[in-house]
Amino acid sequence: MSGVLTWVFAGLFVLVIIAWYLSYTAARLDRLHVRLSGTLAALDAQLVRRAEAALELATSGLLDGATSLILANAAAGSLEVPEEHGESRELAESDLTEALQLSLTPHAVELVRDAGEAGTDQLGRLGSACTRVQLARRFHNDAVTDVRRVRRKWAIRIFHLAGHTPMPHTIEFDDEIPEHLAA
Amino acid sequence: MRIGIVCPYSFDVPGGVQFHVRDLAEYLIDAGHEVSVLAPADSDTELPDYVVSAGRATAVRYNGSVARLNFGPVTASKVGRWLEHGDFDVLHLHEPVTPSVSVLALMAADGPIVATFHTSMIRSRTMQAAYPIFRSSLEKIAGRIAVSEDARRTVTTHIGGDAVVIPNGVNVDRFSSAPHRPDWTGTPERPTIAFLGRMEEPRKGLPVLAAALPAVLAEVPGLRVLVAGPGDPKEVTSGLPEHVAAAFEFLGAVSDEEKASLLASVDVYVAPNTGGESFGIILIEAMSAGACVLASDISAFSRVLDGGATGELFHNEDPDDLAKHLLALLRDGERRADLAAAGRTRARLFDWSVVADRIIAVYETVIEGRMAARPEHHTGWNRFLRGGIGR
Repeated sequence: MSGVLTWVFAGLFVLVIIAWYLSYTAARLDRLHVRLSGTLAALDAQLVRRAEAALELATSGLLDGATSLILANAAAGSLEVPEEHGESRELAESDLTEALQLSLTPHAVELVRDAGEAGTDQLGRLGSACTRVQLARRFHNDAVTDVRRVRRKWAIRIFHLAGHTPMPHTIEFDDEIPEHLAA
Repeated sequence: MRIGIVCPYSFDVPGGVQFHVRDLAEYLIDAGHEVSVLAPADSDTELPDYVVSAGRATAVRYNGSVARLNFGPVTASKVGRWLEHGDFDVLHLHEPVTPSVSVLALMAADGPIVATFHTSMIRSRTMQAAYPIFRSSLEKIAGRIAVSEDARRTVTTHIGGDAVVIPNGVNVDRFSSAPHRPDWTGTPERPTIAFLGRMEEPRKGLPVLAAALPAVLAEVPGLRVLVAGPGDPKEVTSGLPEHVAAAFEFLGAVSDEEKASLLASVDVYVAPNTGGESFGIILIEAMSAGACVLASDISAFSRVLDGGATGELFHNEDPDDLAKHLLALLRDGERRADLAAAGRTRARLFDWSVVADRIIAVYETVIEGRMAARPEHHTGWNRFLRGGIGR
């Protein structure tokens, strides 16, 4: 009789351990998903800030007409793309980076800087936005890597602990800071 | 911002991470932020008023060297109280995989966390053992910083994901305004070179320099070799020919001011380190002081010297090559002046004003990410599951 009881208790114990582990894993995954949604929102905000700073510079009259047009076009492209991150968004952001690199030649940067406080302000804002886009994208991709690794765990796959949350993907675009913007 | 910084190494003894934490904290306070630093320290160690002691540190062998660390249940609850009392906007942990207060803070905290990785030498064995314990805590870190490309490689191989590289900061002005000391300044007949660092630590490379000296002294018999740093001079000079031993002048451990003056005064600063350097802050200090730098071509040094553009590089652990480059520099005053000038410009990039602004950008990005995230539920059960045990 006592033998049966021992087995029952042992079984219950194992069940409790399994339940605790599943619930622990679910909470861990939830924490990661929270972090992921935060990093993505932060990246979004920085991208908008960068595009707005670029647009502002383009419409400031401090650059020549043709350069302004290229920059304004790329900035508007970045602001117009759909909210969701996807290939079109990544393309638009890479385009903006390229446009910034093309327009901000050493000579152009010098001209804007010489225009006084308004010019240096705008360059400063743009530079800081570019830096933060880089940071935000790296931190987001770190979060994606962590989520993807945890979601490969057997417990999460078998018990569908991730629910209907889609598997995240890293966001890839060129976020190089225009060479002459710094310094 | 309210910023909490955690340093795992004891403030009783000086060290690179401790200096970094101290300088960063002081810069942030000057910039108008509220900063509290938590670090192990003896009760009789004098601490700046922004440092909170986590208690006495114990010397422990970990990851291949002896470090003074702090751990145990009493420390853990102290860390918990510090976190609760501090109510920080962002928590900045240094060396989060060191078994000390950093990892305790990481386990207990649940706000936005930034972590800086300093070392480039995490042993795989250490990491394999530590992994299952740290894994889920490491996932709490929202922004990772590495102080060098080598430290970043450690993060990518051992931890996964990536890190932004933000170098260590230097107070460039403190070094650039250092006065020359006549007794350390070289003359054409008696040029001076300097070596800084613990003498008995082979990876600092003093033996390489000693091996190169006979060839140099044959051409420049008046050379004076100024050695600053703790250690026993006899161990260095024993076994060396008499005229080589006579070229050495031992200054013992020097203060920060003396170090700056030494670097500013000598003709050439030689850094023969054979490896294990993750960054090479001493080279930046030397460049700030206006020294002409000759360093081994280990990857950290080569990067700091911009591939040799702002200082000469010789083949690592090759005394003959060291002698060749040193002789060439000693003969060519113009080249020395050019390198020193290039070095001064280069050093500006590593000034705290530049470095701290980048760290603040990281803080802001991480805080913004947390604000934007969907609100968390803070039931006791949840916190228990999330690993907040002990709070």
